[in-house]
Amino acid sequence: MNNYQLMIKADDKQVVLERILQVARYRGFLISGIHAQVNTGTNIGTIELLVRSERPIELLVDQINKLIDIKEVKVDNSASQQCIA
Amino acid sequence: MATEKKLTGGSLLFNVLEQHGVEHVFGYPGGAIMPIYDALYDSNVEHFLCRHEQGAAFSAVGYARASGKVGVCFATSGPGATNLITGLADALADSIPVVAITGQVATSAMGSDAFQEIDIFGLSLACTKHSFQVTDINDLAKVLHQAFAIALEGRQGPVLVDIPKDIQLAEVNGCLDKLVSLKNKVKLPPANVGSAIALLNQAKQPVLYVGGGVGMANAVDELREFASITGVPSVSTLKGLGAIDPEDENYLGMLGMHGTKAANLAVQQCDLLIAVGARFDDRVTGKLNEFAPNAKVIHFDIDTAEINKRRVADAAILGDLKVNLPALAIPLSIATWQDKCQQMKVDFAWDYNHPGESIFAPAVLKEVSDKMPKNTCVTTDVGQHQMWAAQHMLFDDPSNFLTSGGMGTMGFGVPAAVGAQVSRPTDCIVAVSGDGSFMMNVQELSTIKRFQLPVKIVLIDNAKLGMVRQWQDLFFNGRLSETDLADNPDFVMLANAFDIKAKLISKKSEVSDAIEDMMNHDGPYLLQVKINAQDNVWPLVPPNTANDKMMEST
Repeated sequence: MNNYQLMIKADDKQVVLERILQVARYRGFLISGIHAQVNTGTNIGTIELLVRSERPIELLVDQINKLIDIKEVKVDNSASQQCIA
Repeated sequence: MATEKKLTGGSLLFNVLEQHGVEHVFGYPGGAIMPIYDALYDSNVEHFLCRHEQGAAFSAVGYARASGKVGVCFATSGPGATNLITGLADALADSIPVVAITGQVATSAMGSDAFQEIDIFGLSLACTKHSFQVTDINDLAKVLHQAFAIALEGRQGPVLVDIPKDIQLAEVNGCLDKLVSLKNKVKLPPANVGSAIALLNQAKQPVLYVGGGVGMANAVDELREFASITGVPSVSTLKGLGAIDPEDENYLGMLGMHGTKAANLAVQQCDLLIAVGARFDDRVTGKLNEFAPNAKVIHFDIDTAEINKRRVADAAILGDLKVNLPALAIPLSIATWQDKCQQMKVDFAWDYNHPGESIFAPAVLKEVSDKMPKNTCVTTDVGQHQMWAAQHMLFDDPSNFLTSGGMGTMGFGVPAAVGAQVSRPTDCIVAVSGDGSFMMNVQELSTIKRFQLPVKIVLIDNAKLGMVRQWQDLFFNGRLSETDLADNPDFVMLANAFDIKAKLISKKSEVSDAIEDMMNHDGPYLLQVKINAQDNVWPLVPPNTANDKMMEST
């Protein structure tokens, strides 16, 4: 099982957080933690998402990137790690 | 000074639809969408009343697939909206541009468990490309423009717009917004053309694996040019059928679970697989790690997420097929491989010899295919008849074969044929169905009657859920469970009840005249074809098995 940290920037639109969580669950990633905040000046939300999965993180990054309101998805390699379970 | 004209939200909706060239919509009214249906009165949009919201959704899908335009469907809140979901899921799986408009209870009542209230916005997340709920009348026009842009941009798909009743009634400035482009388009990495050219030049045994993306990208001409210049033998997915000319000498037919033996063997033996608008679906690959085991892969697609999803690409060519296919169309020296593939095609050609008097469905469908006029559009339901249609009917364009590929939705065929006929009123539309699937949206016969649509229905009737029965026989020790449909209604009488002419045939000697009668009839027609309930679809690649280990009969 691998742990990953994603840094996501998104327009502050309806249900954008629900969409991200739904995609993560459906694509086989367990959510370990989440922190989200919105810059009310720019209306851009920043989401830090901690996930666990046997699957490569690129699968999730590509699927989240397809969501209409997403501006950017990055994997924080310094915070991501492979666990030997 | 002239007063600026005010519109209601409902009227604004139709103005925007007309701005996007929408002429036809499919739907079913109800309480929370009444202001929109009231505004329909004054619009130029023609509404087709279906007899179930699922029928409306599939008609919108069929309309979109047959015409290349966006399909539009309406439903009210609550059960009306939930009844759309299967159609939206089908459109998502097959990347079909549909805009669904749902009525919603008034914003003041939302969240109170009001009559016919359901969170369709929440439900839509898993079955649409995107969705909106409009809570401010000033956002309505912009949202509707975005819905059309999103449905058509990149990999196409369904978009739902949920509009509360008070927003439909609210007044707004009559000025129409300009059409919008999308702000957050996915940025595609540059195409790996150099690597792909090198792979093409090194290949001794390449195969072109054609998917539904070719038709969606309107790149049939570019694909055929690529196939012609390179000479690469080609195979097709279910949804890709029609993209390659079926008479092309290097075309080997459909691959996968019920693919031709020649197509599957060629893919298993190839050293380069050129996937074009295809996604390595499990029904195509069989056992994934034994699929095309010796092949490098060039993958053309518009969707970044499909690259490396199920099979690693050695060269990814992301972007518009109309641009990228010509860039890689180079002549190749592969005559020996071409000869081998053409010989396999001869050696493993279909055999239509079928002992006894009972009707052989593959032969019937081949004869329908041979006799149908040019530009006929065929829809299917899901099951054995669907695979027989894919195997034995020939299509010269993807928009002439509409079948539920990704979702495999029974009940698709008849309402999709309704949508196809509305979009192409002068073309012949044939719905190939099975007795199980047909009953799932049988109420749409009423839509055919209401609008006098001359749809021809070929009903392959084995009084079984045939494909499930086949699998129970083959893989569950013959323990047949809930697949017997011996209590089906009298289909001829049923069709007649909807003023649809119908005929039942059960012997080979009746087939040719019956097909002629159906094709020559001006109006809608149902031809019920009784077949032997034990007939199976062959070949069959068993689950989790490599595609060269296909079963051909028992």
